[in-house]
Parts: sequence; C-alpha cells; structure tokens
Amino acid sequence: MDPKLRDVSQLFERFKAAFVRNDYDTCTNLLSQLKVLLTEFRSLPPLFEETPNAVHELTLARDIYEHAVVLSVKVEDQDAFERDFFQLKPYYTDGRNRLPSSPQEYPILGLNLLRLLVQNRIAEFHTELELLSSIALENPCIKHAVELEQSFMEGAYNRVLSARQTVPHDTYVYFMDLLAKTVRDEIAGCSEKAYDFLSISDARQMLLFSSDQELLEYVKEEHPEWEIKNGSVFFQKAKESAPCKEIPSLQLINQTLSYARELERIV
Amino acid sequence: MTQDVEMKDHATPSHSVSSAVPSTLQHLKEIASLIETGSYSKEVRRIARAVRLTIALRRKLTASVLSSFLDYVLTPGSEAHARLSAYVPKVYVDDQEMEVDTATSAIQTPSKHLLPELDIYCYLLTLLFLIDQKRYNEAKACASASIARLKNLNRRTVDVIASRLYFYYSYSYELTGDLAEIRGNLLALHRIATLRHDELGQETLLNLLLRNYLHYNLYDLAEKLRSKAPRFEAHSNQQFCRYLFYLGKIRTIQLEYTDAKESLLQAARKAPVAARGFRIQCNKWAVIVRLLLGEIPERTIFMQRGAEKALRPYFELTNAVRIGDLELFRNVAEKFATTFSTDGTHNLIVRLRHNVIRTGLRNISVSYSRISLADVAQKLRLNSANPVADAESIVAKAIRDGAIDATLDHANGWMVSKETGDIYSTNEPQLAFNSRIAFCLNMHNEAIRALRFPPNTHKEKESAEKRRERQQQEQELAKHIAEEDDDDF
Repeated sequence: MDPKLRDVSQLFERFKAAFVRNDYDTCTNLLSQLKVLLTEFRSLPPLFEETPNAVHELTLARDIYEHAVVLSVKVEDQDAFERDFFQLKPYYTDGRNRLPSSPQEYPILGLNLLRLLVQNRIAEFHTELELLSSIALENPCIKHAVELEQSFMEGAYNRVLSARQTVPHDTYVYFMDLLAKTVRDEIAGCSEKAYDFLSISDARQMLLFSSDQELLEYVKEEHPEWEIKNGSVFFQKAKESAPCKEIPSLQLINQTLSYARELERIV
Repeated sequence: MTQDVEMKDHATPSHSVSSAVPSTLQHLKEIASLIETGSYSKEVRRIARAVRLTIALRRKLTASVLSSFLDYVLTPGSEAHARLSAYVPKVYVDDQEMEVDTATSAIQTPSKHLLPELDIYCYLLTLLFLIDQKRYNEAKACASASIARLKNLNRRTVDVIASRLYFYYSYSYELTGDLAEIRGNLLALHRIATLRHDELGQETLLNLLLRNYLHYNLYDLAEKLRSKAPRFEAHSNQQFCRYLFYLGKIRTIQLEYTDAKESLLQAARKAPVAARGFRIQCNKWAVIVRLLLGEIPERTIFMQRGAEKALRPYFELTNAVRIGDLELFRNVAEKFATTFSTDGTHNLIVRLRHNVIRTGLRNISVSYSRISLADVAQKLRLNSANPVADAESIVAKAIRDGAIDATLDHANGWMVSKETGDIYSTNEPQLAFNSRIAFCLNMHNEAIRALRFPPNTHKEKESAEKRRERQQQEQELAKHIAEEDDDDF
C-alpha cells in the first residue's frame, strides 16, 4: 500500500475515534492536517488523474469530507459547512462515474438544502434542487427539505414546526432549531398585519413560547410597538391609509416637466 | 431537442432555386466561387451569403454530389482530400457514371492552392451530410478534426463558416449524448474567439456553452459564465433568441420571474416564424413564469396554430391555477407528470402550488365578507392533519404579503374581508398612467435612435444647398459687376 495513503487512513481512523468520543477540538485539528495531506493526491478533483489507487483515494477523500460536513454541523459553524460542502460536491457530481455512490450522499445534500433554506437563500436552494434526479427527490432526506420549503412559502408554519419531530437524520436538528427561530419571526410579522389583537395565551401558543413570561420578553425586545393590556396583545397597526391625503406635488411637477421636455423634442 | 434544427431550417430562404435544373453540384460550385471571391476581396458578407445558400441545398446533398464536389475543390490525392473523402461512402457505380463527366471536367481547372475558407467549407458540408445521414459517430470525428484545424486559422472571413461549424460540432455531440465531453473544448474556443475579436464566434459559443450547462441542469455554472462573458450587440438574430431563452430559463430557476418573463417573451417574439419548436419551448416556460407571477396568460397563447397539442398540458395547468382548485391542480400535475419532467419544468410546477392557494384565497376573500377558517380550509382542500391552523397561518401570510385585504379574528376563528377601497382615491391610477406615458416616450426615442440614414443623402442635400448658395453668390457678383459696369458709364 502506498505510504501516503496509509498515513492518511491512519490519521482518519484517529479522527473517527475522536469523532465518536465527541471530542470536536481534536477532530478539527486532525481535519486540517488531513486536508493538507489530501492535496498531495493527484487523483482527486480537479485533476482526476488515473493513478493506480484512484478509486481508493477518492473514496477515502469523500469519506473525509463527508465527516467534515457533519462535524461542521456539530460545532455549529455554517461557514465551515459551506466550505466543506463545496469541496465534497465534485465527488458527487464529477466523480459519479468513478465511484460507487455513497450512502451519505442524500442526507448531506438534504442538509445543504436545509442550510440554504435557513439562510433564506431561496434562489440557490432551487438551483441545487434542479441538479437532483427524480430518484433523489423521492429520498426522504431530500423530500423533507423540499416539503419544508413549500410549507414555508405557503405560510403553513405549523407544518414546518411539526417537521422537526420527523427529521430523517439527527444532524438535521441543528438547522431545524435555527429554522424555528426564523419561523417565529415570520409568524410575528404575519400576526401583526392579520390580527387586530390576540389574547396573551393565544399569542403564546402561536409564537411557540412555553410561558407568558417569555412572550413578554420577546415582545419587549423585538416588537416594542405592540401594546399589552387587558390580557391581550394589541398590534399597533401603522396602517398606511389607502386614500391619498395630500397630493405628491413635487413628484407631479417633475413628471409633468419631463413630459413637456420630451414633447418638445418630438414636435 | 428539436428546436435548433427547426431554427436552422427557417434560414431556408424561398430562393432555393427551382429544382434540379442547374444541378446541386452546379450550385455548390457557384457557392465555392462565391467563397473564393469573398475570401480574396475580404468581404464577410459574401461568405455569409454562401453559408445561407448552402443551408438551402442541404436537403439535396447526396454522397455522389458531395464526393464530386470534394474532388472539384480539393485536389484529389492531397491530404485534405483524403481526410474528408474518407467520411463519404463510396458512390455506387451507376451514380458515378452519371457524375463522371462533370467531375473530370472539374478537375481540369486545378485549384492552385487551397483557400482555408474552402477547406473549412468542405468540412462544414461533409459534417452536414453526415448528420443528415444520422452517422453521428463519424460526424463527431469529422467535427473534432475541423475544430482542430480551425484553431490554427485566424482570418475574419473564416469566422462565419466557423460559427456554423461550432454549432454542428456541439450538435453532433448532443445527438450522441456526450455533451459534457466537449465542455472544456468549447470554453477554449470561446477564449480564442474572444482574443481574436470574433464576435459571431463568441456569441455562438456562449450559447453552446449555456446549452451545454443547462443540458445538465448546471444553472449555477451557466449563470456565472453568462454574467462574466463579454456582451455586445447581437450579430445574428437566431443566436440572440437562443441567448434570451437560456437567460430566461436561468432567471426562472433563480426566482427572478419578472426578468425571466421579459426574456422568454422576447425570445418567443423574436424567433422566426418557422422555428415552431423553439417558440413552443419558449411559450411553455413563459406560461409557467407568468403563472408564478400571479398572472393568467391569455387563451390565444395556447391556441396558436401548430402549438395546441404541445401546449395542452400547460393550458390545463393554467386553468387549474386560474380557478384556484388544489385538487384539480394536483390531478393535472399527476396526469402530465411525464411531459413536465421531460420539459424540465417539474420543479417549477411544484412551486406553483403556492400560487394556486393564493388564487383560491383571493376568490374566497372577494366572494365572502366573513367566513370561518374551517370553511376556508375546506374550500382550499388543504389535505393536512390540522387544516384550520394551516388555513389560519396561510391566510395570515397572504394578508401580510398583500395578496388579500382582510383581518383575522382568532377568538371566533373567522376571516373578515375588508371593503375594497376606491382605487381612484389613491395614487395608483396616476402611477399607472405615468408608466404608460413613459413607455410611449421611450418607444418613440428608441425608434428615432434606430433610424438609419443612407450615408450620402445628407451630403447631397448639403451640396444642393451649397449650389444654390453659390449660384446666388454668382448672381450677386454678376449684378455687382453689371452695376459697376453701369457706374462706369
């Protein structure tokens, strides 16, 4: 066996051991060493050279990056997640003909979709979605993310929240928690516009707080303009009055002048 | 996809001279001489005309005609000749006899040295022939050989033929499903074309690359390339249409619906009448984008001649969205699932569900002044575990997004619609009026900018004026002299 390959495998074993122990500091250290070592293999993307150990090296590298992605979720580092995911992606797309597919592929792709959703990068979410085959779309991990996005767009927020109980993979919980925060803000924004007032207990239920105290704190911090009296939350609707009260004179003058100028040019 | 072929066919101008009277070979020879003069006089226009004429002859191209043409242009026995004639099947004996005299007479006018334009043109002709004969693997080999040859040529007069060659190069690979293979090559060619200021080549290659990426749904890469590639005024209408179509697709995927709609509609309008397949594709996408924007496309779009059948699934889909019936929408989506997935629009249709709900909700809000949330859920046919809660939050979001004007009453569990205010008491009509005026003025300005004046009329007018001036001056001078003469007396 190639000595370089053996070094990497051994190091990776140590990494996995630390990973199981939930010793994330050691993991991060080992990971950066591993990444440096990986740069020496010429069979990896973007070169994809046909070396004798190519398949073995590719599989190992993919395995390492898959762990890296999961690790970044565990240490809750979204930037690292993005970096590692992009390093991993060529193995799934360009390496498809060279490698047997990985069992981790769909969970990780689904995780990435979820991340884009949480970060509200919907355009990228859909771009990624287009890359998936119809078989992939049927996979529970992917489907989970896709359905979340739909419910989110529709406004069926309680479906988003109940999806937390049905996560297909335990790494998803981190993003689901983040999503819950986003959902709460969304609900608050919607309620503000849709209701005149809500009783405190209803508001608590709707905004998913376990106690009235938490609700009051939240209102104080995020929405100081809400008024709480008689056991209800009143939303001060700064309703933009539909009928126009004053004539936007400056704008009108500008427009009329520009028409005059243009007409002069024509005549 | 067929659209490209059809795009091409439109170029078949009506002057595809009436039948075989002067034989196809004769035509080809005329084209060859056209190219020759074009090459010597460095007139790109002539070469472009030659290419156009060739497309008209495409259907009549046979093995015997092609081989005798090759004999005529390339000296038999030369390297170029050997290379190309290998692709053309040996002609049957009787055919050969028929053509023999023309062929031999042709050889008597030996071409002193081969022009690169003609060499490349022969490649193009052979490639066309191979593709029409469905011999794709040979076509691929031939195309690759021609591309290798092209890389070493840097002449503006070759560009026109080259851009056609690029297209067929990519087309032959697409037909065999190996588009990914040539991506690197296309990128290199695009770079070369950019360095040589070959704008037609850049335009063609950019489109081919976009097509290549989109074929594999690589919208991300396509957008990156598109936004960074140099843009300039379009040289060819067909290429511009394609560009708009690809741009529309990319923007649709990235949720920029307003821009996407603009490019797709423009592509459909600019496309030549004969390019039916292409227009249908554009319309399919445009319909979905408009639905996603909350617009309902007009019925006439679906009733265009020759497109009814292809657009049928999209028509039914539109209907479902218009009514706002989730059940119907689901049925349509299922019924035409295969069509939608071959069109690559399946994911977009999934996005539409949201619009169906919105439309349904708007209908409810208009028809009822007060309705319980349970009824709303029932009318929308939300199939979920907790329909009332779902309905409540969906309505809340619709209110926030301004889709409906209503308030919710949580305690009683109903939705109260507000009276629709008098729109004429707001700024709205004035804004709409303003945007229309701006549009008209802009149109006028652009029309003026697009006016072309023949270069000399201006000068002539001026000279006429000058002449009048001169004559006047002469007259005055004469009068002066006469007066002086008079004075002398």
